[in-house]
Amino acid sequence: MPEAPTPAERKAGSAREATLNHALAGRGTARIALAESRELARSAYERLELPKWRRSGFWTTSLEQLDLDRLQIRTHEPEAKGPALLDGQRSAGVLVQRDGSVVHVELDPELAARGVILCSLEDAAREHSELFERYYLRRLLVDRHKLEAASAAFWSGGAFLYVPPGLHVPEPFQIVYEISQGGTAQYAHTLAIGDRGSDLRLRQYGLAEGIESESLHAGQFELYLEDGARCRLAQLVDWGTGAVHDVSTSIVEVARDGWCHWLPALLGGALIHHHDEIAIAGPGGDMAFRGLFFADRDQHLDVFAVDLHETGPSGGDVHWRGAATGESRASFEGLIQINAGAQQSHTYLQFHSMLLSAEAELDAIPSVLVGADDVSASHGGTVGELDEALIFYMQTRGFTRPQAVRVIVEGFFEPLIVQLDDPPLEQLIRDRIGVKLAAASAEIERYALAR
Amino acid sequence: MAELEIRNLHVRTEEREILRGVDLVVRTGELHALLGPNGSGKSTLANTIMGHPSYEVTEGQILFDGKELNELPAHERAKLGLFLAFQYPVAVPGVSVANFLRMAINAQREEPIKVKEFGAQLDHAVKLLDVDRAFVSRHLNDGFSGGEKKRAEILQMAMLQPQIAVLDETDSGLDIDALRTVAEGVAKLHAEQGVGALIITHYQRILDYVKPQYVHILMDGRIVMRGGPELVARLEREGYDPIREEVAANA
Repeated sequence: MPEAPTPAERKAGSAREATLNHALAGRGTARIALAESRELARSAYERLELPKWRRSGFWTTSLEQLDLDRLQIRTHEPEAKGPALLDGQRSAGVLVQRDGSVVHVELDPELAARGVILCSLEDAAREHSELFERYYLRRLLVDRHKLEAASAAFWSGGAFLYVPPGLHVPEPFQIVYEISQGGTAQYAHTLAIGDRGSDLRLRQYGLAEGIESESLHAGQFELYLEDGARCRLAQLVDWGTGAVHDVSTSIVEVARDGWCHWLPALLGGALIHHHDEIAIAGPGGDMAFRGLFFADRDQHLDVFAVDLHETGPSGGDVHWRGAATGESRASFEGLIQINAGAQQSHTYLQFHSMLLSAEAELDAIPSVLVGADDVSASHGGTVGELDEALIFYMQTRGFTRPQAVRVIVEGFFEPLIVQLDDPPLEQLIRDRIGVKLAAASAEIERYALAR
Repeated sequence: MAELEIRNLHVRTEEREILRGVDLVVRTGELHALLGPNGSGKSTLANTIMGHPSYEVTEGQILFDGKELNELPAHERAKLGLFLAFQYPVAVPGVSVANFLRMAINAQREEPIKVKEFGAQLDHAVKLLDVDRAFVSRHLNDGFSGGEKKRAEILQMAMLQPQIAVLDETDSGLDIDALRTVAEGVAKLHAEQGVGALIITHYQRILDYVKPQYVHILMDGRIVMRGGPELVARLEREGYDPIREEVAANA
């Protein structure tokens, strides 16, 4: 068990100060051997305390209560069959990691013949070491907090995807991280690369059901899109109603004339702390960064989304939506950061929220850091509740009250869902939101009647 | 053949009593107009018929085919075959007109409507009401003009095929072209589906396009005068004041 830092190591008063989030902003740990990065991370893990993020007293995300010593990295044997979730869908490739092991990998043989690589990250480090070392941790750190360090030090399995130059792959690559039982620590790492002029779709899932005892997913995700590469990236996180804590960082880099449409959908988990950052690293890079979350029960959700422009001209469009019910707490912090010299960057950040119970809390914290003078960067947003006039309107058309609420909340998310341009995934997200709404219908009703 | 009967209806909101004993019968196939000055209780009547929770019935009954509706929630009234076209339709963000219509139809029946049947019904309604086909892909009432909103109300009425529809000042805020389209739509639905309608209006001009058989005048929460189309003509000539004086003299 690591010891707490001595007073000499800690800055005076640091524990009482608000910890403001910072963009990674290009800081990375690249071009060191895997063993070396693991060692670096391990020593940070030993040194650091469990994280607690706080901001001026009104928001705290704490993992201090997490008992890491009780969590295990579980391993499993490979399996021939993919997950039922994906049955009947066409995929370019599928990789499934259960707890600590990659249990299933399949890749369209034609794509393999054309140079696509989909394998565990462990295998990639051995068999594709040149690619691995060029990209691994290029924009990720391993020592900002104890769980990031744990992930970088202890990850096993992992996912590696490489799409070679100029190749267009219309079907999605699907990467699944499952937690199969309580008391699990899952340290996950995905590294994906779209080489020059390639075009791909990538979906990553984080899934669990009925995990009653405390578990952890500490993940790092990195996607690099080289010049002119295009990607539609979706991440569906639904750890169910159980006790899964998810502390993860995702980074997407878009090079010259590249483009990414990125949508994280955060739907379940006891505590979620995500740092999701997209960096426009080359002139002409453009992106649409969408995100949605639905917090319920006593869920705690803390999202830090970064729209970083390192060069111009560049474009950005950030649009997140979140709903909260039960006694959940949700915070969305959105940062636009435009570096000095990133002239002619144009971006917009909007966040819309819908509060569905009296006990839920939902905060939105937009901020803009601009170091160039010929740019446009602005933000906007709305805070909403269920509109009783709309509910009555729908009732006169035959909808029961719960049906009306479901349609309204789905409609609230629909502008983002429909942009996925991926009907099976769209339907999956709609269905999962529907399940959460059905479970919360009694408290939503209570809230409506109390107003 | 359905019958909506309003019997000695008294309604209050938190502040005051608005309807003070309204009697009215509307049957399938009949066209009624209810006219009245501002503040006479027209919208209160429309909303109460449909079961708006802000309006309290303190006395009297609303009956549909002899069954009392007073305590019935709005969606149950819709299933019986009642429809309200709103004065101020509400936006339903993220839900297309077509999707809303399909869900509303399904909400009112046991088995979901077949895709083909729905498509055919929608095609027919769109043609009948002279609506642009692209209209049904837009999010319902979201960013619609006043005329588009009212047209969407009539389109819903066409698709849901109610027995009896209440149209709450459907003509307000429309220019003459929009008014004509909407009014002719109602007339077509009456001709084709035999819907019974209670057309509530402040102005008379919608009645140039939909000819009511029965005309009622509402003042201060009571129906003070009943008649046929000639009553509309009289109102157009004289306005409400002479009627108010006549009612006062007879009281």
